[in-house]
Amino acid sequence: MPSLRDMRSRIASVKNTQQITRAMKMVSAAKLRRAQEQIINMRPYAQRILQVVTNVALSRLVEHPLLTSPQRTNRVLLIVITSDRGLCGGFNNAICRFTEKFIRDYKNTYEKMDFIFIGRKGSDYFRRRGVTARQAILNLAREISYAMASEMAKTCMAEFISGDYDEVRFIYNEFKSAISQKLVSERILPIDLKKVTAAPGDANAAASPNMIFEPAPKDMIDQLLNQHFSTQVFRCMAESVAAEHAARMTSMENATKNAKEMIGKLTLTYNKLRQASITKELIEICSGAEAVSD
Amino acid sequence: MMLTLVTPQKKMLSEVEIDELIVPADRGELDILPGHAALMTTLRAGILRVRLRGKTDFRSAAISWGYLEVGPASVTVLADTAEWPEEIDKVRAEEQYRLAMTRLQDAGLAPDDHVLMQNKVLKESARLALVR
Repeated sequence: MPSLRDMRSRIASVKNTQQITRAMKMVSAAKLRRAQEQIINMRPYAQRILQVVTNVALSRLVEHPLLTSPQRTNRVLLIVITSDRGLCGGFNNAICRFTEKFIRDYKNTYEKMDFIFIGRKGSDYFRRRGVTARQAILNLAREISYAMASEMAKTCMAEFISGDYDEVRFIYNEFKSAISQKLVSERILPIDLKKVTAAPGDANAAASPNMIFEPAPKDMIDQLLNQHFSTQVFRCMAESVAAEHAARMTSMENATKNAKEMIGKLTLTYNKLRQASITKELIEICSGAEAVSD
Repeated sequence: MMLTLVTPQKKMLSEVEIDELIVPADRGELDILPGHAALMTTLRAGILRVRLRGKTDFRSAAISWGYLEVGPASVTVLADTAEWPEEIDKVRAEEQYRLAMTRLQDAGLAPDDHVLMQNKVLKESARLALVR
């Protein structure tokens, strides 16, 4: 049986925890709003540039290694985006488990699989399991910059073109809404042309072979693809950051709710204990008085 | 003709009916009217002007580098940055312009940086021209 004083200190400590989780929830909500805005503003650009790239590719005026699917996929570069910090529910775990499964499933199919981990959690998880990363990028949440995405895009593209890899794939959490994230594994390179052309009811999708190019397509395509790929990389990062804040917000809200419930339970027990001790004291006094009067 | 003007930061115009669009293209100003042939070109820093359906006056925006794609019924502008005149801070733009100019005159500038600064000067002068 815990003493009254023990109970009091337990209630106080749960209250402290609740305060912290509530504060974290508020911070995440504020950060989420900013991240969300960034994504929503960027999505149309990312979609449009993919459309333009597709149109150029379908006009069959240019040949570019990034646009042609290889015959066989043997060497894969996986870029896994997690968060740097924890306390965000199943956010990181889901990604790590998915990636592990991916590795298990394709270990025998692919000849070579390399990894780039963005975010400390994923990088630590796989280091413990003996998976060596080619590169680990930390401190993502603090500042995701277009310059960084563009840098990374350039290296990936160069390696893809030189034949080091046949496929570049991103594994990350896509931001769907404040309460749900979707785990996606997206092939970024080679550019998936079928995905776009399948979009029905878009007059823009009708690629014309008579398209005029100024300057010539081969001068333009490099820059265009570069821009496209950088945008995609940046978008993946931004999606993941927003999803992280959303996940943290939800899990912190749950934690606050749990703490509240816990406080309620503890207070009830505390009051019962207090009542019991008062009753006991009263009985003692009464029985004492009776003994005297007899 | 439907115009969509997007930048990585925001969506400026989305599927808006227009009658005319004038852009600073790779080899000079380009005037796009409905029924224009399919075209794909790069854009330089400068002023983009657009006349909405049924209007007689143009709306202008300062853009830096980007792409233009003209399709059968739609026009897409993918700009690195784009701003309406009311979004431009004149004092800051002047400052940036002066800064870029001084850096451009620096003899020790690497060739890549030189091109970068030239673009910067073009961009800032377009922004200034718009607010003046």
